[in-house]
Amino acid sequence: MISEHLDVRMTVDGRTISARVPVRYLLCDFLRERARAGGVHVACGHGVCGACTVAIDGIPVRACLMLAVQAEGAAVMTVASLAALEGDPEPRAGLTRLQRAFREHHALQCGYCTPGLLVSTALFLAQNPSPCRTQIIDHLNGHLCRCTGYANIIAAIESVRR
Amino acid sequence: MKPAPLRYARPGCIEQAVGLLAAAAERGRILAGGQSLMPLLVRRADRPGLLIDINRIPGLDQIEVLPAHIRMGALVRQEQARRSPIVRSEAPGVAAALAWVANPAVRQRGTVIGNLTANTPGAELPAVAIALDAQFVVRTAEREQVLPAAALIGPEKVVPANAMVTHVLWPRCAARVGFHEVARRDGHAPVVSSLVALGVNGCRVSLSGVCRTGLSCPTVARLIAMRLPGVPEVGDLASALRDDLVGPVYSDAHSSAQYRLEVAPVVSQRAARMALEELAA
Repeated sequence: MISEHLDVRMTVDGRTISARVPVRYLLCDFLRERARAGGVHVACGHGVCGACTVAIDGIPVRACLMLAVQAEGAAVMTVASLAALEGDPEPRAGLTRLQRAFREHHALQCGYCTPGLLVSTALFLAQNPSPCRTQIIDHLNGHLCRCTGYANIIAAIESVRR
Repeated sequence: MKPAPLRYARPGCIEQAVGLLAAAAERGRILAGGQSLMPLLVRRADRPGLLIDINRIPGLDQIEVLPAHIRMGALVRQEQARRSPIVRSEAPGVAAALAWVANPAVRQRGTVIGNLTANTPGAELPAVAIALDAQFVVRTAEREQVLPAAALIGPEKVVPANAMVTHVLWPRCAARVGFHEVARRDGHAPVVSSLVALGVNGCRVSLSGVCRTGLSCPTVARLIAMRLPGVPEVGDLASALRDDLVGPVYSDAHSSAQYRLEVAPVVSQRAARMALEELAA
């Protein structure tokens, strides 16, 4: 029962991935290297920046603060599943509603923080479809963006709230 | 693979978890939400031999109402507790403090007990637990004990490496509370935070970030209670606070001890104002 290596099996964006991994293998590395989910961006690597945020069974999780073996049996959704996370089955011109809002409001520049922001904002809006500005800012506390100064991200999220 | 090599176990019950802790001879760590522990591991500030993942132990995610307490298991997430109507009405100080802990995403994974036992300087909940007389249910392979939180996370205290805090007991009370903090960035560990609870044996005040661990401030609390329905001046709060200090004032690269002592009475004054507004409402 105690081990340094374990078999792990999870679904990543609908695909089942199984592998034998060292237990210290982080989920963010597993997703990038084993599941080839390049939308998982690793920046700070210790839970501050939010760039690697993915949805695990519908909850936002920093993939750098979780071991791959902890996700045994879980359904992991990265930014590649954004349409499903937003409940937007038919993205227009390949972009979901949230992605279009980010583009229209210049809510990204280098784009490194964007996948994590999109995933966690989709989950945030699913829980609270009409957040006030204060709630949006509270939500953004979990994400670092070095380009935009956040004003455009706030504007993008405000434009899609119901 | 940033953490140092380690082993991992996924026990199915508390007995197994504490058995594994005992066998790991001080090198075992309980892994619940991981929001305090994992950053230590990836920086290799901690190199445990064994991680004991308790996430699959049934029943630990419950918030229960007991005659005198609200009982939370070791898997109760911070956001779950913050949103709980029971916690809001029966342990309002806890709900008020939780709104300031981290950010919504981290709160959905991080646990209440994890935040308490990590006992990071500045962290909101340990100070609140000490000031409100919370208790821990502590389990080792040999026995189960109920201990005051202050006995495990107070000054010079640590949770023993062979022990697991399985539950926290918050005394039920209908206090009116105010919580305020100053942080370098919202959602991060504050420089100083303060809870003022009016109506728990008069008044209770907690401060974090002033001493190395959370601080209960009975002298400040008496002063606030005495001046009701007004709020004491900052200077008076500052002198009262001096009598409540336990050990040296904490300092780090960002905030000196002097700065913390200047900010603490201001933060407590604001928390007291918020509590008074609650009382009036």
